[in-house]
Order: sequence, then C-alpha cells, then structure tokens
Amino acid sequence: MEAWRGFSKGAWCDRIDVSNFIKLNYTAYDGDSSFLEGPTDRTKKEMDRVHELLIKENDNGGVLDVDTERVLSILSHEPGYVVDKDTDVIVGLQTDEPLKRGVSPFAGFRNAVQACNAYGYELSEKIKDEFTYRTTHNTGVFRAYTDTMKAARHAGILTGLPDAYARGRIIGDYRRIALYGMDYLIEQKKEDKRRLGMKEILDEETIHTLEDLSKQLDFMSQLKGLALSYGYDISKPATTAKEAVQWLYFGYLGAIKEQNGAANSIGRIAEFMDIYIQRDIEEGILDEVHAQELIDDLVIKLRLVRHLRTPEYNDLFAGDPVWVTMALAGVTCEGKHMVSKTSYRVLQTLYNLGSSAEPNITVLWSDRLPQTFKDFCAQVSIDTDSIQYENDDVMRRMYGDDYAIACCVSAMKMGKQMQFFGARCNLAKVLLMALNGGKDEIEGAQIAPKGEIFEEKPLAFEEVYEAYKKYLSWMARLYVNTMNIIHYMHDKYAYERLMMSLHDTDVERLMAFGVSGFSVAIDSLSAIKYAKVTPIKDDRGLITDFKIEGKFPKYGNDDDRADLIGKDLIEYFYKELCKTPCYRGARHTLSILTITSNVMYGRKTGSTPDGRKAGEPFAPGANPMHGRDCEGALASLNSVAKLNYACCQDGISNTFSITPDALGSDKEQQIEHLTTMLDGYFEQDAHHLNVNVLNREKLIAAMNDPTLYPSLTIRVSGYAVNFNKLTRDKQEEVIARTFHQSM
Amino acid sequence: MANIHSFESLAAVDGEGIRFDVFFSGCPLRCAYCHNPDTWHHKGEIEMSAQELFNKVKRYKPYFKNGGGVTFSGGEPLLNAKFINEIAPLLKSENIGYCLDTSGSVELTDEVKTAIDNADMVILDVKFYNAEDYKKHTGGEFERFIKIGKYASEKNIRLWLRTVVVPDINDTEADMDKYAEFSKQFKFEKYELLAFHTMGFFKYDELKIKNPLKETKALDKSRLHELQEYLDGKIEITE
Repeated sequence: MEAWRGFSKGAWCDRIDVSNFIKLNYTAYDGDSSFLEGPTDRTKKEMDRVHELLIKENDNGGVLDVDTERVLSILSHEPGYVVDKDTDVIVGLQTDEPLKRGVSPFAGFRNAVQACNAYGYELSEKIKDEFTYRTTHNTGVFRAYTDTMKAARHAGILTGLPDAYARGRIIGDYRRIALYGMDYLIEQKKEDKRRLGMKEILDEETIHTLEDLSKQLDFMSQLKGLALSYGYDISKPATTAKEAVQWLYFGYLGAIKEQNGAANSIGRIAEFMDIYIQRDIEEGILDEVHAQELIDDLVIKLRLVRHLRTPEYNDLFAGDPVWVTMALAGVTCEGKHMVSKTSYRVLQTLYNLGSSAEPNITVLWSDRLPQTFKDFCAQVSIDTDSIQYENDDVMRRMYGDDYAIACCVSAMKMGKQMQFFGARCNLAKVLLMALNGGKDEIEGAQIAPKGEIFEEKPLAFEEVYEAYKKYLSWMARLYVNTMNIIHYMHDKYAYERLMMSLHDTDVERLMAFGVSGFSVAIDSLSAIKYAKVTPIKDDRGLITDFKIEGKFPKYGNDDDRADLIGKDLIEYFYKELCKTPCYRGARHTLSILTITSNVMYGRKTGSTPDGRKAGEPFAPGANPMHGRDCEGALASLNSVAKLNYACCQDGISNTFSITPDALGSDKEQQIEHLTTMLDGYFEQDAHHLNVNVLNREKLIAAMNDPTLYPSLTIRVSGYAVNFNKLTRDKQEEVIARTFHQSM
Repeated sequence: MANIHSFESLAAVDGEGIRFDVFFSGCPLRCAYCHNPDTWHHKGEIEMSAQELFNKVKRYKPYFKNGGGVTFSGGEPLLNAKFINEIAPLLKSENIGYCLDTSGSVELTDEVKTAIDNADMVILDVKFYNAEDYKKHTGGEFERFIKIGKYASEKNIRLWLRTVVVPDINDTEADMDKYAEFSKQFKFEKYELLAFHTMGFFKYDELKIKNPLKETKALDKSRLHELQEYLDGKIEITE
C-alpha cells in the first residue's frame, strides 16, 4: 500500500496495533537540541492573529463568543480557520470561528443555560425547547441519587463529581485514523458487532455493547464528513506527515466537538508522528523547518480548544483548562528509550510560540532517557514552567509502553483502557465527621451513621483512628455506589461515541477515585498521636476547634513517624474502595490529586487537629502543607516518594516550586541539578512532579499587575495555567505555597 | 552526640552537585554580618548521634550523583571534628563524600586534621585579610583559619575560598586586590564572593540580640558580579 511505503511490516498490518507499528518503525534520537528550527514567517503570522484573539477574549471577561443557536456536534458548524484556508497548515476548529465556544448540553442542560448566562449570553429558545423534553446525564443521575449521596455532596465530603458536567478523561487513539484510515476502522467495528451478535445468550452487557457499537459507527461516519467539509478524505490512511498530523487532529477535533468532558487529552502521539516526519524527510519532501511548522501549527490548534463552563466549574478547575495532555518519551518494555526528534519538536513549540498552559506537556521520565534529552527538558522547564514529569519506570510496570496520560496524572493504555472519572472525597472532613459521630461540623446535619461524639479531653490516637477507619469504610462504599450511578447515567445519556470508537471494543474500564485533604489528615493524626490535642465544642455540642499542645512530626520532612501514617491511610482507603464492585466490571484506581479544588475543599472544612483553621485551603494533591516542610525540598520529595503507586494507580500529584538561585548559580548548574533531582526522586518510585522555577516576587508582581506578565505560565497540581486566569484567592494560595529558596 | 541547628536537604551552591547541608550549633566567632546568629550557641534544637545522622543522610543518596554529598556547615562544623570523624567511615561505606564549610576558627588539633584529611573538599571563609579587621568584625583569631587553609593546601584537599562582601566594609576594588594577594598562600580551585544580604535580620530581633549592621543595605547583585570578575582577574587558581 502506498500509504505504508517504507514501513517495517509486522503484526500491525493485520490488525489494529499502533504500538507494534511504533516500535517497529520509530527512530530513537540521542542527539541534542541543535537541529531544532524557529518559527516560520507563516507561523509568526498565525501567532499574531492568535495573540490578538487572546487579548480580545481576556478583555471580554474570559469568553470571546458563544454560539447559542446550535448545539455543538461533529457536523454542527461550517469550517473555521485561524487565518484562512490557505494559511492554516493544520485545519479545523470546534466552531466556525476561533475561540467561539459551542454549547453542549448533553451532560447537563441547566449547566449549559447557566454557563451562557454567566457570560451574558442567552441560550436560544430552539435549544431550550429541545432539551426541556430530553433527559440529560445530570437529570438521570439526580433521579437515582439517594438522600445520603445528596447530603454528602452538599456537605463537601464528596465534591467535584462529574454529575452535572461531562466526565472526560477518555483518550481516543487518534493515531489509528492516520495509520489505518476510517474505512478500515469502521469495518473492524462492524465485524466486532457481527461477532458479538452471534453469542448464544445476549446478556445485558452484550446488548449494551451492541448499542454502543451502533452509536460509535454513526459517529465514525460523521467524522469522515467533518474532514470532507475541510476538503480532506480520511477514509484512507495518511500518506504523508502532514496528512498524518491532520488525520490525527481531525479525530481529536471530532471528539471535542462531540464531548465537553473536563479533560480530553490527546495521548501519546509525538513518536507516532515522528515516523511519518522521518519518512518524508528521508524522501526529500519535507525539511526540518516545515516539520517544525507542522508541529507548531498542531500545537496552535490545541491551544485554541475551548469549552463553555460555569463559574462553579471554574472554582474546581481554575484557569479555563482543557487538559490537552500530550505524553512524550518514555521507554519500551524492551528497554529502548522512545525519545524521537519530534519529542524535541513538541518542546520547541514553547520557544517558537511562547510558553503556554496547553497542551499539557508531560514527559514520561526514566533513568534511561538520554542525558541530552533530560537536559533539554530541564532547560525548557526553567525557561517556561510548562512541563510536568511522570515516572515511566513505575507506570510501565502497570500500563506497558503504549499508555498516555489523561488530565494530570491518569495513566491508561492507548485505545485499550478508558476511565470513569470520579473526582474526590475529602479525607480531612471525614476525620472531623468521625470525631463528631457522623455529623457535618459546619451545618450540623447527620450525614454518616450516628456514632459517639468525642469528649473534650485529650484525644487518644488508637480510639480516633479506629473511629476514622469506620467512617472511611462507610465513605468508601458510598463513594463507589455514587460513582456507579454517575457512570451508568453518563453511558446512557452522554456516551462518548467517537472517542470510544477509537478504542478496542473489549475495552478495559478503570474507575478512578480520588482524595483531597491528604496532608491535613496525616498531620492531624500525627498531632493526635505525638502531641496533646483537646477538642473544643461549640454550643451545638459539635467539635469545631482544637487545642494543640506540644510538637508533632509533620508530613514533608522525610520523617517516617508522619509519612507512614499517610502511607497506611491511603492503603487502607484503597482497600476499602475495592470492597464495593464497580459498574461495568471496572477496576478501582485511586489518585491523590486536587487540581485547584484544594482551595474549595478547604473552604468547606472546619478547623482540623493539625492547627489548620476552618476555611483555610488544603495543600494541593499529595503536597505537604505549605510552610510545614522545614528541611528543604528534597526532604519534602522523599516524603511524597514513600507513597505506594500500586494503590494509587491513578496518580500521586506533587507540585514543586523553587527559586532559580536555590537551584544553582547559573543556568548550566540549574539544569544539571534539576535533572539530578528528577532522577533521584523518580529512582525512589515517586510518581509525578510539577516543576516551577520562579521567584515569589514575580508572582506577587503579576498578581498586582497582570499586564506585566501576560503569558506567565505556572504549574499547578498536575496541569499548567496562565497565572492571570486564576482568581485572586487561588493566586494567593499559589503564592503561599512552599517556595524552596536559598538563604 | 552532636548539637544540630537544622538541615537543608537541597543545597545547590555549597559545594559540587546537590548537597545535604547539616548546620551544626555553636560558633566561636561573632561576625558582625552573620546571617545565622541562631547557630551561635551550642545548644541546638536537635541532638543526634553519628549513626542517626548517617541514617538521615543516606536517604538522600539518590540525589548525590554528579559529585553531590553532605556539607557540614554551621555554626562551626570543625567544633564537631570528633563527631565528623565518627560519621566519616559510615559515609564512606555508602560512598557519600562530605564537604566542610568552615570559618577555620578552631585550633588545628589532630582531630581537626583527620576531619580535613577525610573531606572531599573544604570551603574556607576568608573573612578579612588582616588581623585587625578580623578581630574587629568577627571577634576571632586571625592565625587560626590561615593554618587550616594551609593545612588543606599541603594535603592537597580541594579548597574553595569564600568571602562575604559587606557594603562599606570590604566592597572596594582595593579590598579585592588585598584579598587576591592574601589568597596566594593557599592552593585553591575557586574563590567565590557572596553578597551580604538582610534576610537573616529577623533572627536578631527574634533572639533579642543587637544587630550591629542594622542600617547596612544588602549588596547589589550587579556590584557583586563586578567585584567577582575583578577578583577572578587577580587570583591564581590551582586546577
């Protein structure tokens, strides 16, 4: 076949197996970054237009325009371009204009109406009429929710659940479109459906899958229509690098036109694209300048992805993120590194186009990556604060060598696994509830089963921990059941037809639970164990404050006395979750990740035994509480590294900020120290690290005058945001976080 | 047992590679520009045996590639020479090297000699180039640190020199000429100037001790850079 000319043949030729194709055909690159090229004049022209649009969007309160007349779908809008048809190298926008947002009410109609109103728009009567008589995901969930679930949600023990917005965190294997063409993929799905229908007994799951397949097939042909509207026929495989990038992007574009899930990531595509680029360069039909231009333009398109959100949603996930997470590098199961020139080209976009929060560039770190690549990553981190690092050596053990990252830290095998996203429960608040016999310390309602309220005398660790475990078990069961309802309804009313069509039909499902308030819970337990903590009750007879006497070890100082409390706590909670089966046979996973919701969870939680006062923010993710890690950065990293990834297979997020001076006296030394530090951290099987190398003063200046640093990007809990897009309270929280600095 | 003031697990500028800094309590000097007056007294917050400290340091071994290791600082680390000689074989068993970040303001006893012999490197504070100023601004004896520096030079222990530059005290080119001349008696790899800063001022208030340089401003970074370049042009480096 012309499209596959020059490729090494293998198993991938007879069935869908992109991983096999990549391993047989990619070119590992051990050189340095000197081959990279800057932006072309065309790219600069397009970026000028982008900057213009971004300023307008910002001036307009964060939303440039909303199409309130049409429901956003694959074929809802006419083609749109950033500059024009001839200037855009990679084409395709969500609507007919760049940054114009579409409305997608399938996950929650009320949310869509509110989101429009929040920015001064009114959803058209036509859409309102249509959805008034239609069940959305949100309606379905609330029909089934029990009173306890609603109460737990209201109190802020279970929060951020995808019950009013789309779940996201599903990565279609968009590479399949480029490698095989849509017609082959459609044939395969038809064959799956035929084979499934031949089963002797069509049980409920089989019927469910049969219906899923028919929905997938419908949207697969719509995707061909989308490409045709831009003048491309993607029914056949891509024949050049430009086509490969374009085919792949059409798949992603179709997915985000159909779905507005919280995080729609693009997957592990760099090394795949590199194979096509390499072939074109060898054939003399592409040069480095234009190879870079292709990647630059893809990245420009990914930076323009927008969804219409409500202010409440922004409270959870600040800064208008879409998590177009792109995973790079890593190592094959055979031990060969997967750094290609295109891994470099993707990083180079941060220089060519300026630093940016999207796409969320994630380097899959391994001891075995070439030093030249490690150095370049560190350099880009120091210059742009736009990269996160995740440990390929621990993830490869669980997910093989063709996984990608959805959202911040969620690993999944490309095209073979999907996730039921589950936000998080509030571990700090469950502890307060255990002390208060199942009552919410703020509103006083009895939410969990009634128990003894602890007395106003020094707390005994064993008694508290026993009560805490009892309530954690209750929490775990409630949490799994709640998630089961949510994902049953999401499958029923807002199924990801296109994304799932780019998965194997017998997909493995992961159900991703999460926790917040982790470090607060650890330090609280440590205070009870090692200091003297006496509860103080209010006039309702509820414990709302604590008297703390004496010192206690704190999480974040590489002190086992505190750290092992955390390790034990998270392992216990995971075990409890696993006791309740998940919907559709999904496997339980767990994350310690809060995004920016640690501020909101803190607001909903009373004073805690660690000395944190009511309403104060939690630390993000698995980070130690701000200001409590007093032995420096590596002690803090060592504490987090003790957590067991095997029971947190959905990720352990850690955000690290350091001043340039503390990292080294010059750029060269800073690079050397950063790579050494990453190696040392990940060697201990730690999972994730966000790296910010910047001065606190710079952030304070940016907070007070946003025009000083219009594109200041910082890493926050698993993703990057434009600092100016954060609300004041979140900016303050970021600034309050531990900065490791030299004295 | 040793009295330790605190630790810094990521010290990137006190020696080669990534360093784990151990700040001992207790210092014989009372430098006017000290930014750690909280380490002057011998009673530290943490009491630790050599074995305990070793267990702690060992946890950072993954970060000690590229020449990294422990830096004993303070306070004055050489007041703890006996303790250092106790932990040295333990560190050696794990191939962890140590660096001494010292003012050299101790007697050159056999114990001190051993501590220097086993060090990967010595960073020596050259506070002033004459006995009079030395006494005036630090309260210490000028001859002691010279002996320490010469001993390290004779034993071919890697040596870095350091001087804190304080506005209106030692911040002129003429001062640099004197420092350069003075340094010729040592064999060293690097002579680093550090800028006086005011970030330790709050400690004086907390400890309720008089801060003699309360009115002095931090040294400007660009001035530091200028002086460093000037000094580099005058000194003789031993590779």
